[in-house]
Amino acid sequence: MKQAEAPPDASWSGPSHAGVKSPSPIVTPDPALRFAATAARLDQLAAGHPMEPWLRFVARLSRAQHAVATTLAPAAILSAADVTRATEARLPPLAADGHPRAPSWREALTTLLNHISVEPDSPVGANTPVGANTSVGANTPVGANTPVGADSSAKNLHETPLPPATLNAITQLRTSDTTTLETLANNFLRGHIPLSDTAATIFIVAALQVYFTGSAARLAASDLRLLEERALCPCCGSPSVAGIITATGLIPGTRYLYCSMCSTAWNHTRAVCVTCGGTRKVSLQGIEGDPGVVKVEACADCHTYSKLLYQVRDTQVDPYADDLASYGLDLMVSEEGFARHAPNPLLLTGDSEEDIG
Amino acid sequence: MPLTRREFLKVTGVGLAAGSLGMLGFGASGVAQAAAVRPFKLAHTTETRNTCTYCSVACGILIYSMGDRAKNALSNIIHIEGDPDHPVNRGTLCPKGSALLDIVHAPTRLKAPRYRKPGGTEFEEVSWDFALDRIARLMKEDRDKHFITQNAAGTTVNRWTSTGMLAASASSNETAYLTWKVARSLGMVVFDNQARV
Repeated sequence: MKQAEAPPDASWSGPSHAGVKSPSPIVTPDPALRFAATAARLDQLAAGHPMEPWLRFVARLSRAQHAVATTLAPAAILSAADVTRATEARLPPLAADGHPRAPSWREALTTLLNHISVEPDSPVGANTPVGANTSVGANTPVGANTPVGADSSAKNLHETPLPPATLNAITQLRTSDTTTLETLANNFLRGHIPLSDTAATIFIVAALQVYFTGSAARLAASDLRLLEERALCPCCGSPSVAGIITATGLIPGTRYLYCSMCSTAWNHTRAVCVTCGGTRKVSLQGIEGDPGVVKVEACADCHTYSKLLYQVRDTQVDPYADDLASYGLDLMVSEEGFARHAPNPLLLTGDSEEDIG
Repeated sequence: MPLTRREFLKVTGVGLAAGSLGMLGFGASGVAQAAAVRPFKLAHTTETRNTCTYCSVACGILIYSMGDRAKNALSNIIHIEGDPDHPVNRGTLCPKGSALLDIVHAPTRLKAPRYRKPGGTEFEEVSWDFALDRIARLMKEDRDKHFITQNAAGTTVNRWTSTGMLAASASSNETAYLTWKVARSLGMVVFDNQARV
């Protein structure tokens, strides 16, 4: 009898697979679920949260992203040869700051701005996650499940009008020409964001996330290869927003980092600093007495930290939503003198005199 | 294309007004969040990779201890789990390995050599010098008495079968090599260590 094979006379109650398997190195995103899941989770987390108006706004933004991601596909199509050439050179095939963006991403931006600026009462405002994560009652406390149909009226109560600064940013983008939009995107992807563009950048980011997620979804995980620089996405070369410690799957307990642009997840060894690869001075920090869903892994060698989300503590955890909702932990850890490994592109922070990002 | 977007790494001081929150008109959210966390403290834990002590399969484990090694004098092990990144076990542990936390904290855990005199009823703690001298003496006496130089057919065998040795798991190649040299050079044949695996 082979190891872990079912014994002849009894039903095997152990793992369904024989032997010890390694985790999938790369998981490509599903654009039909990605933004809807984030929106649903944000709505769930927003109730009673100190940053409720902000989280509701990002939820609204994610719903707009979902609408764009599921109605049009503004994605780059890479040939198999291009993918092979990049992976053989250990480069990301969809390099966010290198590859020639398809102009369709601007179409995504236009549609996104139309969706977000529609006030909640009108029909498009109700264009909320359908099909994805419908079991999560968006406005109910954690654990309570209501059908999604029931919460559309409740949601409108929470959707306050957009602040004037946000509306200005939307107007600014609507009246910008192609060159300006491309410059804004390039500035963001190359990490130089002038202070005056911070507000507009969030919508550029949202459109680019849809574009890159759609493009990454067209690639097969088996064609991709982890980069030597494990902190960067093997698909588009961007940094991660957060890591999830899985609780399910073939090997529970593995860490997957989630790409801030293309939503690809990739495996990263645990208890190793994401920024510098150091292991000696890495410590886990969390808020004392909280449920332990979110922690940071802080490295005293390079003085950076990255977030860890424990799926075993909350099965509905979403890397993008929970990262934003745990901004309080970021504040506490930065007070200890640690810098974030990479920002969440929807929540850029910076000193008032310098460039953001 | 530069592989590392270093610009992303330099984000430091959290400028609430200058960031996305302030510029989009959600500055109040940031202020509320900063106020909300003020009463709370951070709890520090350290995750350490190690190898299970039990057998020569040498499963990887992650040990969680309170405090970070640098700042806190008190460092208490609070949790042990299988290391999901270790190629030997991928996060799994056998029932013995799963109970490792209990042997760490067991009141009966052996922390120093102990000795029960011939005819005595109680173990007493002794020094390492005493223990090693005593072991060496008994090994020498036993080896002198029972060492077999030739078998029945007259072939030279040089074996010592009356004393055995079981050595640790989690040995490095060098440790395994030295253990092997020490035990085998004495002629010891009842012997197991991780070099077998």
